[in-house]
Amino acid sequence: MSAVLPETGLGAEGVGPRPSAAGFMRQLFRERPSALAGGMLLLLFLLVALLSKWIEPYPINAQVGPVFGPPSASHWLGLDDSGYDMTSLLIEGTKVSLIVGFAATLVSMVIGGGVGIAAGYFGGGVDTALMRVTDYFLVIPDIPLMIVLAALFGSSLFNIVLVIGIILWTGTARVVRAQVKSVRQRVYVERAASLGAGHLRLIVRHILPQVAPLLIANTVLTVAVAIFDETALSFLGLGDPTKVTWGSIIEHAFDRSAISVGAWWTLVPAGLCVSVLTIGCYLLGQAIEDTLNPRLKVAHLSTRGFRLRPLVGTGRQTL
Amino acid sequence: MSLLEVRDLHVWFDLGHDRELHAVQGVDLALDQGERVGLVGESGCGKTTTILAVMGLLPPNASVAGEVLLDGENVLRRGEETVVAHRWTDLAMVFQGAMNALNPVKTVGWQLREPMELHGVASGAKAAARARELLGLVGLPASAADRYPHEFSGGMRQRATIAMALACDPKVLLADEPTTALDVMVQAQILQLLVELTERLGLTLLLVTHDLPVVAQLCQRAAVMYAGAVAEVGPIDQLYHQPRHPYTRLLFAATPDIYGEDDVQWIRGAPPRLDRPIPGCPFQPRCDRAFEPCPTERPQLQVVGPAHHAACHLNDLDSEVQPSAGAGSRA
Amino acid sequence: MRRSDYLIKRTGFAMATIFVAITLNFFLFRVLPGSAVTNIAHVPHASLQLQEALKHQFGLDRPIWVQYLRYLQQLAHGNLGISWADQQPVRTHLATNLANTVPMLTLGTVVAIVAGIATGVLAAWRRGRAADYGHTGVALLFYSFPTQWLGLMLLILLASYLPAGGMSDPFLIEAGFWQRVADTTRHMLLPSLTVALTLYGGYALIVRSSMLETLGEDYVLTARAKGLPAKVVVRRHALRNAMLPTVTLMALSLGSIVGGFILVEVVFSWPGIGRATYEAVVQRDYPMLQGTFLVLTVSVVVFNLLADLLYFRLDPRVSE
Repeated sequence: MSAVLPETGLGAEGVGPRPSAAGFMRQLFRERPSALAGGMLLLLFLLVALLSKWIEPYPINAQVGPVFGPPSASHWLGLDDSGYDMTSLLIEGTKVSLIVGFAATLVSMVIGGGVGIAAGYFGGGVDTALMRVTDYFLVIPDIPLMIVLAALFGSSLFNIVLVIGIILWTGTARVVRAQVKSVRQRVYVERAASLGAGHLRLIVRHILPQVAPLLIANTVLTVAVAIFDETALSFLGLGDPTKVTWGSIIEHAFDRSAISVGAWWTLVPAGLCVSVLTIGCYLLGQAIEDTLNPRLKVAHLSTRGFRLRPLVGTGRQTL
Repeated sequence: MSLLEVRDLHVWFDLGHDRELHAVQGVDLALDQGERVGLVGESGCGKTTTILAVMGLLPPNASVAGEVLLDGENVLRRGEETVVAHRWTDLAMVFQGAMNALNPVKTVGWQLREPMELHGVASGAKAAARARELLGLVGLPASAADRYPHEFSGGMRQRATIAMALACDPKVLLADEPTTALDVMVQAQILQLLVELTERLGLTLLLVTHDLPVVAQLCQRAAVMYAGAVAEVGPIDQLYHQPRHPYTRLLFAATPDIYGEDDVQWIRGAPPRLDRPIPGCPFQPRCDRAFEPCPTERPQLQVVGPAHHAACHLNDLDSEVQPSAGAGSRA
Repeated sequence: MRRSDYLIKRTGFAMATIFVAITLNFFLFRVLPGSAVTNIAHVPHASLQLQEALKHQFGLDRPIWVQYLRYLQQLAHGNLGISWADQQPVRTHLATNLANTVPMLTLGTVVAIVAGIATGVLAAWRRGRAADYGHTGVALLFYSFPTQWLGLMLLILLASYLPAGGMSDPFLIEAGFWQRVADTTRHMLLPSLTVALTLYGGYALIVRSSMLETLGEDYVLTARAKGLPAKVVVRRHALRNAMLPTVTLMALSLGSIVGGFILVEVVFSWPGIGRATYEAVVQRDYPMLQGTFLVLTVSVVVFNLLADLLYFRLDPRVSE
């Protein structure tokens, strides 16, 4: 009963392959301002990370002012417990946090995407086996496992990236598998298969393009989770001690009595950065997902009712 | 006086960006007590919106003009406020039961009892008994009351939806595609059921469908809608054998004959956009008999026979120029 | 499949997952290169006696599969090893820690669920209006705050009103039962509040999304057509159905609850299982770390199963 949504005259979409990437992006950003907002925020952080070397006002490991110096004209975000400039630390932290976030997400995407595609495409025994494993890891809680792995294998940046990536793939795998299964059924994929196309060709040429948008949405959301996980690991002392990340900044603020001294500037900006990035990722990722699977239904219930207008009255007789 | 009368009903949907969809454009209908009237047309012609408007079941982005008179009283007088009092007690809707019209987490019996208790028709054990009675009326076993919708087939769910609609003894049943998505055998049973019920209980039925054989089986009269307006309305017989609007004629001709004897003629083209005003006749671009006044002058409904009206400029002319009796007729 | 088959299947899955976790626990700590348990030299301040005892206890001179069986056997007897930090049984520590975590976590989670549902429903109901944007924005904000950072912020803001850490006032001696309860509760407020704020945002977003989906369903229109007032439709038809995907999604977020409360306990020095995990890491007390990992994982699996059972109860269609 598609009653409430007027289907008249505006033309139904044909069912078939999705529009091109450029077309999709145009549609996305035009229809959803949240996508634009999210995208801009991410871009901003990316720029800061890329230009970090040139925009850090002070070196990050040299004392350039008084210990716990408050924000001032020369040090916008103040100084930390060793007299390092917070602004520079934050910029450096942006760079490293984003590296960790994207690298871990890449690992997770590759594994999760691979598993999902294999499970969805081949089906049968492969699917059952892969999904069984995925299900176990979906239930086993992430952070304790990360803690154990990080504690055992040591905390270089590389290890952290691997640890996070290895644990995050399960969510992606499930999502990708579902999408691959639905795409697999589509007529043109079957047709290509019957023409003798090999598995790899089918996957790359036909399935991957259909799965890609959802994968991208998932990637964006995963980046936020990865960055949060890094802050958690850092906070528990499992981060790379030689690198500056948003997580390590927060950890230092906690560990080095910045709170009791009242040096809020060593804590607040780093957390806000994580928060803003997460919001940006959420907005963009949700917007992509919503554009891919639009909720066509109008709410049947609302606080406002329909409105009345005066009679049009074309002077017809009643029947 | 007619039991249910729709006068000059207009419905607009606000599409944002200062655009509006004029989904229903001045529809007039009249139903006498005990009548079964069909409302037919292609997808998107506004027929569903029309019956939803009769019960005021429109979303917040809708605006309505016109009157819906039940026993002479305009139920839309103050919008939601006035119409809600008539819901289910006077006007009840039979939705497409095969779809999601029944709440999946409540038993069928519970869903039958809910409106009874709400409107004070019956409660407690009496309501349960009445629910079982209604189920029997539509051909379902009493045990169905304790089952959940997903445990039933499409046909049985449709019967349950009908039973639910009868819960508060309404005067008018509005049915929205009650047999779509059911297979042909089941369809026939449901239609038979509707005929029996309306006759037995003295109900009035307004049936919306795009399926012409259904209308032919069930209804005495029908209104053909196109692009939000009524193109033709009259006795079924007349619509079949003496259509006075090219759309009606082509519509009935487009229905495949079960013996495959007639050629199926599709109507080429698509319905017009309703988000901008249409000068002239909305069917004109697809019409095979369009002539001089059609693109510029909008045709009004006029009498073309006993209880038979059509909105077409062809009827302004002499009888020789009108569509021949042979067109669209069945052997 | 009949309905009862679903229960059996889910319970079986839960048990299998626990078994996988146990095995993982074993292999991570014993087998993989760099695994520290095999290197007794990592144990801080280990006397020769302790080294020998540990070697014997862990059977590190035996083949792997023998060690594994011994490990399972020990587990079956409830023996989780000895903490390297204080030579006390891991099991005892875990019991105390768990007893401390449960009330704090329960308070925070229950508040989060109630607040999340209320906010989500309200936002969905007033979709597109100011109330929606407001509530959704605030929920998104709290959802985005890193948990440890949020805890620290609350600490800064409220430290003068509420105790900054620990579970009890060390100077409270000779106190009566109710005094102690009151004292513990006061200490619990900040950590529970942090847990609640961190979780409610995510829940509100989930509930809002589910409600919006449900409000577009045909049976909601049917309910309205019956003449039911809007509030009744929302409560009786929409909410009930929206709870189904909500339960599922909340269950998926159990892992993040664990991550969250570990961080909270560290911030507020709450002597629960989260902080025990942290201290085990800091002290490289691997038996304790193994123990806490096991307890946390088993808890999550159990709650996941409970969520499955709840879903089963709520949805009559479940039969597969």
